[in-house]
Amino acid sequence: MNSWKHSLTARWKDYAQRPSVLLSRLFAGRMFHGGGELGADELDLGMGVVLIFLAMPGTLVSLLMFEKYGSLIRFLRGDGTFDPYIATIPDEYFFIVLSMSVSCAVALWRWNSIFPDRRDYANFVHLPVSLTSIFLANLFAIFALTALLTVVVNVSSFVLFPIAVVGSQGSFSRLFRFAFGHAVSVSLSSAFCFLAIFALSGALMACLPFRFYRKASVYLRFAVALCLLAVLATSFTVSPILSGGSKLIYLRLGGFPSVWFLALTETLWGNGSDVYFASLTRRAMVSLGLALLVSIIAYTLSFRRSFVRIPEFADVGPLPRSRPFPLPAVFLDATILRDAKLRACYRFISRTLLRSDAHLQIVLAFVALGLVVAAQTVNTAYHPGFSFTAQPPSVALLSIPYILSYCLLLGIRLAFEVPLDLSANWIFKLWIEPDGEQPRQIARRVLVTFSLGWLTPLCFLYSALLWGWLTALIQTAILIACSAVFVEVLLLKFRKIPFTCSYPAFESNSPLFLVAYLAGFVVFAVYIPQSVQWSVVTRWGAVIFIPVFLLSLVGLRQFRKQMLAMDKQLIFEEDSASGF
Amino acid sequence: MAVLEAIALAKFYGSVPAVRDVTFRLEPGHVLGYLGPNGSGKSTTVKMLTGLLQPTRGQVLFEGQDIQDDLVSYRKRLGYVPEEANLYPFLTGEEYLEMIGTLRAMSPNRMKTKISSLLELFSLFAHRHVSLGSYSKGMRQRILLIAALMDNPDVLILDEPLSGLDVTSVLIFKNLIQAFSARGKAVFYCSHILEVVEKVCSQLLILRKGEVIAYGSTEEVRQWIGQSSLERIFLQLVEDADVTQVANEIVDAVVSPS
Repeated sequence: MNSWKHSLTARWKDYAQRPSVLLSRLFAGRMFHGGGELGADELDLGMGVVLIFLAMPGTLVSLLMFEKYGSLIRFLRGDGTFDPYIATIPDEYFFIVLSMSVSCAVALWRWNSIFPDRRDYANFVHLPVSLTSIFLANLFAIFALTALLTVVVNVSSFVLFPIAVVGSQGSFSRLFRFAFGHAVSVSLSSAFCFLAIFALSGALMACLPFRFYRKASVYLRFAVALCLLAVLATSFTVSPILSGGSKLIYLRLGGFPSVWFLALTETLWGNGSDVYFASLTRRAMVSLGLALLVSIIAYTLSFRRSFVRIPEFADVGPLPRSRPFPLPAVFLDATILRDAKLRACYRFISRTLLRSDAHLQIVLAFVALGLVVAAQTVNTAYHPGFSFTAQPPSVALLSIPYILSYCLLLGIRLAFEVPLDLSANWIFKLWIEPDGEQPRQIARRVLVTFSLGWLTPLCFLYSALLWGWLTALIQTAILIACSAVFVEVLLLKFRKIPFTCSYPAFESNSPLFLVAYLAGFVVFAVYIPQSVQWSVVTRWGAVIFIPVFLLSLVGLRQFRKQMLAMDKQLIFEEDSASGF
Repeated sequence: MAVLEAIALAKFYGSVPAVRDVTFRLEPGHVLGYLGPNGSGKSTTVKMLTGLLQPTRGQVLFEGQDIQDDLVSYRKRLGYVPEEANLYPFLTGEEYLEMIGTLRAMSPNRMKTKISSLLELFSLFAHRHVSLGSYSKGMRQRILLIAALMDNPDVLILDEPLSGLDVTSVLIFKNLIQAFSARGKAVFYCSHILEVVEKVCSQLLILRKGEVIAYGSTEEVRQWIGQSSLERIFLQLVEDADVTQVANEIVDAVVSPS
C-alpha cells in the first residue's frame, strides 16, 4: 500500500514539474490571484475563500428546496400527485440562471487575467520555452479553470436539489435521471457562459487596436453585466410563465440562453421527442459548440496579435490622453471647488473613478444593478391599459431616479474603499490636515456631482414631460433632499482620502451594514416614491419633507458631534490587503 | 570567434527607425558596455539580442548561427536581466526560481543546490519563503540576477540591472561581472551608470538616435575622443545641449515668481 502511495506521489511530483504543467499551474494562479502589477494592493482572498463564496449561492438555494419539496410539507399542502419533472421547472430555470450568473460574474471579474500579459512575456519569452508551449499552457489553464469553477458553482445543487425533490420517492433510477439531467444542464450552461465571455474578450482583443482594448472592454463588461442582471432579475417573472406548460412560450422566450438549457434539461428528463424542446436543445448544444470554437479562434488570434507583439507596443508607447472639455471644470472651480486642496483632491478622485478599471467597474456594476432593478420595477407594474402619463404618476415610474441615485451613490462609496497604489499616498499625508473635515468635504462633492450632477436635470426633464412642471419640481426637490441625506449617512464615519487606504477589515457588524443598506434600498425604492405620489396628489404634502429633511441633517450632525475626536482624525492605513 | 555578433541590425516601426545599422562583436571574456541617452534604441537592441523582437534588417549571430534558426537552444545558453522586475506577487522567491530552473530544464538536484547557494550569496536566503509581492525593489532585482545566473549562461545580457540595488549590492555586482567575464563568459551590459560601465567594461558602444557613434575598446574610444573620463566622452558625443546651462534654466523656472 505504502509503495503504491510513494510511487503515485513520485509520479505526481514528476508530472507537476513538467514545464507545460508548471506553466499551466502558474497561469491558473494568475487568473485566480489577478493580473495586477507587483506592488498594487489587489484584493486577494485566496483560492479556498473564493471557491467557498462561489459555492454559497447554489448551496443556499438548494437548502431552500428541502423546505419547498419536503415530503411532509407536500403532504400538509395536500400535493398528492406530484410530478417532479413538471413541478420543478421554475426552480430548474432559476438554478440555470444562477449558475450562468455566477459563472459570468467570475469571468467578468477576472477578465483582465484570462490572457497572457506583459508580465508573462517579461518572465518567460527570453527563456528556452517556445511560444507554442506558453499558448497551450494558458489555453489549458483556461479550460481547467472553467471546469473547476463549473463544478464548484454547481456542486451543491448536483447533490442537494435532486435529493430534496425526488429523494423521498424511493426510486433510484428516477433520482439518477433527475440528478443527471440537472447536473448536465447547469454545468453546460455555466460552461457556456465562461466560454462566451472568453470568446468576447478574445474577439475584442483580436479586433481592436491594442491601445483601445482596455477602455472598450470596461464598457463591454458593463453591457454584459447589464444583460446578466436583466436575466437574473427576470428569472422570477419567467419561471412562473414557463411552469404554465405552454410550449409556445418556450419558443417566444427562445432568445434567452437560459431557456435553451432548460429545454436541454427537459430533453434529458425524457421530453426529447417534443419538437419545441428538441429545437431549443439543439440551439443550446450548437451555441455551446460555437462558444468553444469562437473562444479558441479568438484566443489564437489575440495571442498572435497582442501577446507576440508586446515588445513592439512597449516601444511605441501609449496614446496621449485627450484634454477633457474644460467648461464643467471651470464651473466647479468657481463654485464648490474654490479651495485649492479640495480642487486637487477632487480631480484625483474623479479621474481615478473614470480611468481606473477596478473603480470604474464597481461604479458601472452598481449603475447596471440600478438600471435593471428600475426596469424590473416598471415591468412589474406594467399591465394592459398602463399609461405613462396617468395622474397621479405610478409609484414604479416615480421610483426610477431614486433607485438609480441610491445604487450610484452606494457604488461610488464602495469604490472609495478600493485602494490604489498605497505607496503614492505620501502626497496627501504631506498636504491634508489630519484633524480637518476635508476628507468628508471632498467625498461629499464627488458623490453629489457624480450622481445628482446628471440625475437631477434628467429627473426634472422626464417628470416635466410626463406629468407637468409642478410634479417635476416636487419629484426633483425630494430627490435632491433624499440623496443629500443619504450622502451624509454614507459619510458619517468617513475620515480618509478615497483610495489611499488598504481594504477595510471585516468586522462583526459588517452583515448588519448589509442589512441596513438593503433596508435603505427599500426606503428609496418603495416608501419615498409612495410619499412623492402622495405629495403630488395632495400638493401641500411636499412641505412635510422640509422638516423631515432638516431633522435628519441635524440628527446626523449631532451624531457626528458626539463622536470622539480620535474617531474623526484623518487616517492612512497601509497594511496589505491580506488583513481582509 | 565572437560568441554574440550583431550585423547591420535595424528595427523600424512603420517608417520610424528605432535602431539603424548596429554592428558589433562580443567575444568570450569580454564585457561590452552599451550606452546612449533615453530613446536612443538601447532597449530595442536588447530585445533583438534576446530574440524578443525580430529585426527589420540584419542578423544576430550566436556562435556564428542566426539566433532565429533555433531560438530555444540559444535561450538555453542565455542569461537575461530585464530593466523592470515584473514578477508574480503570489509566488515566493524560492518558488519563482524553481519555476525558472524547471523551465530551463535544469535537473532538480542541481537546481536546488544552485538556488540555495545563490540565495545565500545574494543575502536572500532568509526571505526565500516570503512572497515576491513583499520584496523591496532591490530584492526583486537580486532575484532576477539569480534567475539569469543560475543555469551558468554563456552570454549574459543586462538591461539596467542596478536599479534599486543598495551600495553593497552594486559593489558586489561590479566585481561579479568582472569575475564572470574572467571565466570566459560574455557580458552585454546596457546601462546609464557611467561609473560602473567605465569600471567593468572592456568594450564600449555608444548609440545616438538609433545609430552607432562610437565603438571599440574602452581605451580606443578614450583616445579617439581625447577625453579621459567616460562622462566627458558621453557628453561630447551624445548631448547637444550644455548641461550646465539647462540646469540653470531649470532653477530659473523654479524660482521665477510668475
